[in-house]
Amino acid sequence: MLLWLFIGGVLLASLPGNAAEMRFPPPDFQTEYRIPDLYTPAPATTNGVFDALMLFAALCITTWLVFRARSRRGLFLMSIFSLAYFGFYRTGCICPVGSTQNVLAGIFVPDVGVSIVVLSFFVMPLLFSLFFGRVFCASVCPLGAIQELVAIAPIRISPALDRTLGLGRYLYLGLATVGVATGAGFLICRYDPFVGLYRLGHSYGMLLAGGVILLLGVFIARPYCRFLCPYGVLLGWMSRFSKWHLDIPPSPCVSCRLCENSCPYNAIDMPTPAHLVEDPIKGKRRLRYILFASPLIIAMGAVGGYSIYEPLSRVHPTVALSERVALEDLGRVQGDILESRTFRASEKTVETLHGEALGLRDVFKKAGAWLGGFMALIICLKLIELSTVPKREVYTPHKETCFSCGRCYPYCPVEPKRVAS
Amino acid sequence: MLEKREFEQSDFLYRLSLAVTVVSGFFSLIVFLLLVVNYMQIRAADPVNNEMITKMRQEYAALPEEDPALAQRIRDLDLLTRKAFFTTQTHLRVGAVMLLVGVSLFLIAFKYMMRWKRDLPKLAETPTAEKEFLAFAQSRQLIAWGGVGLLGVGMMTALLTEGAIYSTVDARILEAPPAATSAQNAATEAQAAASPEGIAKAIETPAWEAMELNWPTFRGPGSTGVAHFTSAPTQWDLAAGTGVKWKTETQLPGHNSPVVWENRLYFSGANETTREVYCYDTESGELVWKKTLDRFQGTPAEPPKVNEEAGFAAPSMAVHGKQVFAIFANGDLASYTAEGEFVWGLNIGLPDNHYGHASSLLAYGNLLYVQRDDNSKARLLAFDLATGKEAWEAERKTISWASPILARTSFGPQLILNSEATVDGYAPDTGKLLWSQECLGGEVAPSPAYGNGVVFAANEYATASLIKLNGTAEAIQPEIAWQYDSFLPEVSSPVLDGERVYFATSAGQLVALDTKAGTELWVEELAESFYSSPVLVGDKVFILGTEGKMYIVQAGSDFALLATLNVGEGTFATPAYLDGKIYLRSTGHLYCIESSHG
Repeated sequence: MLLWLFIGGVLLASLPGNAAEMRFPPPDFQTEYRIPDLYTPAPATTNGVFDALMLFAALCITTWLVFRARSRRGLFLMSIFSLAYFGFYRTGCICPVGSTQNVLAGIFVPDVGVSIVVLSFFVMPLLFSLFFGRVFCASVCPLGAIQELVAIAPIRISPALDRTLGLGRYLYLGLATVGVATGAGFLICRYDPFVGLYRLGHSYGMLLAGGVILLLGVFIARPYCRFLCPYGVLLGWMSRFSKWHLDIPPSPCVSCRLCENSCPYNAIDMPTPAHLVEDPIKGKRRLRYILFASPLIIAMGAVGGYSIYEPLSRVHPTVALSERVALEDLGRVQGDILESRTFRASEKTVETLHGEALGLRDVFKKAGAWLGGFMALIICLKLIELSTVPKREVYTPHKETCFSCGRCYPYCPVEPKRVAS
Repeated sequence: MLEKREFEQSDFLYRLSLAVTVVSGFFSLIVFLLLVVNYMQIRAADPVNNEMITKMRQEYAALPEEDPALAQRIRDLDLLTRKAFFTTQTHLRVGAVMLLVGVSLFLIAFKYMMRWKRDLPKLAETPTAEKEFLAFAQSRQLIAWGGVGLLGVGMMTALLTEGAIYSTVDARILEAPPAATSAQNAATEAQAAASPEGIAKAIETPAWEAMELNWPTFRGPGSTGVAHFTSAPTQWDLAAGTGVKWKTETQLPGHNSPVVWENRLYFSGANETTREVYCYDTESGELVWKKTLDRFQGTPAEPPKVNEEAGFAAPSMAVHGKQVFAIFANGDLASYTAEGEFVWGLNIGLPDNHYGHASSLLAYGNLLYVQRDDNSKARLLAFDLATGKEAWEAERKTISWASPILARTSFGPQLILNSEATVDGYAPDTGKLLWSQECLGGEVAPSPAYGNGVVFAANEYATASLIKLNGTAEAIQPEIAWQYDSFLPEVSSPVLDGERVYFATSAGQLVALDTKAGTELWVEELAESFYSSPVLVGDKVFILGTEGKMYIVQAGSDFALLATLNVGEGTFATPAYLDGKIYLRSTGHLYCIESSHG
C-alpha cells in the first residue's frame, strides 16, 4: 500500500497544472523573441444563483434516493454527477465546507459580509440535515463523492479508534475558526486536499496529501469526512436532531444481524445486549465524576491552548513571513523564498513586520486558549455521551455519523421484500 | 432493481476483473517508475543553474570587452538546455496522463473484482453488538488518552519552539514604535542615551588636526600616503627579532591595513562564514576586544565569490576618534565604539564585482564614506556616523577597486576617487560631483595621490596622469599637466611629496617622477613585487614588498636606498607609521616596530 501511496503522490505531483512551479526566468541575452506582457485575466463569469439551485436540486434528488428509492446505485451515480459538476466543473468552489469560513468571517471580522449565495450554500445542507440526516454527505459533497468512489475494499476499524480519530474534525473546525478570527486566512480552503485534483494544479505537498488520502480511502473509507471534515461536525450536530433519517430496514427490523458489518463507517447503533447492561449506579457515578471534572479539564485545555500560541501563530502568513525573514537575517536558513524576496522589495521595514508579528502573537494567545478550551469541552461531551449508553432493541443508523450512503441497504433482507412490493 | 443482484457471484467476471487489475497495476507501476526517472532528469536538467552556462557567464562577465562569439555560444547552450528541459517536461505530462488512466483502470477493475466475489454476510459467534457495547469503555479510555496526547503534543511543541527565533534577533529589530506617554518618552530618551547609538552621538567628532596625529585610514590621514610624524625606525629585522616591541599572531585572514587612534589599533579578518573586528593595545600588543559580526538585514546567506588575492576582508577599517568602522566583501558594514560596544550595523548589498569588494573606508566630519562599486550600479555612499543612516548617495559611472582619498585643496576638502575611466572629485558634505577627468583605463586598483594642489592617478595597462585643479571653488577645472606610461602600478598606490611622485609596480620597479616636468627621475628594479603602498615619512619613502622586505629610500631626485629590512614573511598591507613606531601586519602576524627595542 505504501508503494501505491507513493505512486499516487508522484502521479499527482506530476500533473500538468503543477508545472507552474517549474517556471524560470527568461534568457539573459537579448534575442528576437519578445516575451509577452503580463496580464490579469478577467474573472470567470459565474452564476452563483444557478449553482445554489443545482445544490438544492442535488439535495432533493439525493433525499429522494435515500428515502424513497433507497437506491445505493442511484446514490453512487449521483456521487459521480456531484464530483463532475461541483468538483471538476465548478473546481470545488464554492462548496458548503468552505462556506463555513465565509460565515465565520461574517461573524468575527468587522465589515465583512456574506453573500446570499454563499449563505445558501452554508445553510441548505444544514437544513437538509436537520430534516433528513446527512444527505449532503451521501452524494452531493464533491469531497465526499470522490472518497466514496474510491472506497473499494473498505475495512471496519475499531469503533473506539474511529471515535478518537473523529476528534480531528473538531480540532480542524477549531483551527479554521481561529484562522478566520485572527485573519490568518481560510485554512479549510488552503489545506483542501482535493481541490488540486479538481483544478489539476496545486502545491506538491497538497497534491501529495490528496493522493495519500484517496489511496488510504480505498481501504479506510472516507478518511477526510470521518477524521477531518469541519463542516461534518455541524452537519452531524444538525443530523442528531433530524426529524426523519434513513432507516436500515424500510419496515420493522427483524434483528437478523446481517447488516452488523455492512457499514465501514461504524455508523450503525446495535441493540444493547441485555446481559451486558451496566449497573445504573456505576454508570451514574462515572457520569458524576466526569461532570465534576469537566470544568477542570476545560481549564487545563485552555491553559494548554494558550501555551501553544507561538507555534499556532505560524498559521498566520505575517507571522510565518516575519519568522522566515528573521531566520534569513540570522543566517539559519540558506537562500530566500518568494515571500521574503517580495517583502524585501517592498517599502515595508523589517521592524514593522516583526512588530505586526509580535502583535499577532498576542491575539493567538487568546485564540489558543479558546481552541484548547473548545477541544477539552468536546472531549468532556464525548466522555459524557459514552458514559450513558441508551438501551436499544434494533439496528439503527447513528444519526450523527451516518452518511446516508445506502451501503447497508443490500444487506437488509427486508429490502428485497420492499422492492418486490 | 439491480440491487437484487448485489451478492451475485461470477467466477468468470471475477477472473476477468482480476486480470485487468493485475495488468493495469503492472502498467501503472512501470509508468510510475519511468516517471520517477523522468522527474529526476527534470530536476537535474535545471537550465537556470546549469553549471557550464554559469561558468561561461562568469567568464563573459570577467571580459573587459564584449565577446559576441562567447555570447552566442552561451545562447546556444542555453537554448539547448531549455529544449531538453521542456522535452522532458512533456514526457512527464504524457506519463502523468498515462498513469492517471492506468490507475483509474486499476481502481475500476479492482472495484469489479471485489463486486463479483463479494463475501456474503457472516454472522460471528459473538454478535458484533456485544463487541460494540464493550467498545464504549475502550472509547472512553482512548478519547481520554487522546485528549492527554493532544495536550502533551501541544506542550511539547510549545516548549521546543519558545523563543526559537525572536529571542536571538537583534533586540533593536523587535522594538516596535511605542506610543509613549511623556513619562515613557523621558524613560525612552534616557534609554536612548545609554544605547550604543546614544553613545555614538555623544562621541565628539575629531578635527583634522587630531586625525593627522593618528593613522585613521588606509595610507594614513586622508588616505594620501603621507605620515604626519617624521620619525620611523629605520634599523630593524623582524625575522631576527630586532626592533620588535611586540609581536602577536593574527587570527582570521585579511589584507586590510591596520588603523590606529591613540593607544588602540584596529583591523579586521574574515573567511567565508565569519567576519571579525580586532582591537589591540598599541603599547602591549594585547587583544583588547574582538567582535564577530552578526548578520544584518540583507546579509547574503551565501558567501560572495571573491578573488583569492582579495579575500573576504580586503578593505581597511576606519577609525574616527572613539568610533571605528569595518566593511567586508559581503557588504556588511558595522560600527563599534573604541571600547567595543556595537553602535550600528547594516548590509549595503553584495557589491557585485569580479574581484570582490576592496575599497577601504574613510571617515571625515560626521560622515563615513563607502565606495560601493557594483558592476550594475557604482556609487559613493555617505553614512551618518552616529546612526548609520545614509546621508547621501552619488552615482559613479564605472567601478574600481581603489579607495577614496580626502584631499584638502585650496577649494576646500574634496573626496577624490579613481574609476575605470575617470578621476572624480566630490564635495564631502553633499556628494556633489565637483570635477571629473578622463585619464584612466583597465581594472583600476591603485588609489589616487594628492599633494600641493595636484592629483596623480595611474594604472597598469593605461597611463599615469598628473591633474592640476584650476578654476574656482564653484567651477573647478581639471587639467592634465602631463602623462607617463613607461612603468605603471597595478595594485600599489602612489604618493606625492609636492615635487615628486613615487610609486611601485607589481613587476618590482620603484619609480620617481618629477611633478613639474613629468620626467622620470629614477627607476629602480627591486627583487620583489609590490602590493603594499609607499608612504612618505619625513624625507624618506617606506615601501614594503610582497616577499617580506621593507625598502627605505631617500625622498629626492636621486635614488638612494637607505635600508633594506627583513620582515621574514609575506606582506600585502600598508603599515601604519606613527611617532617612532611602525605597526605592520604581515600575512600571519602583527608587529609593533620601535628602534629602541632589540
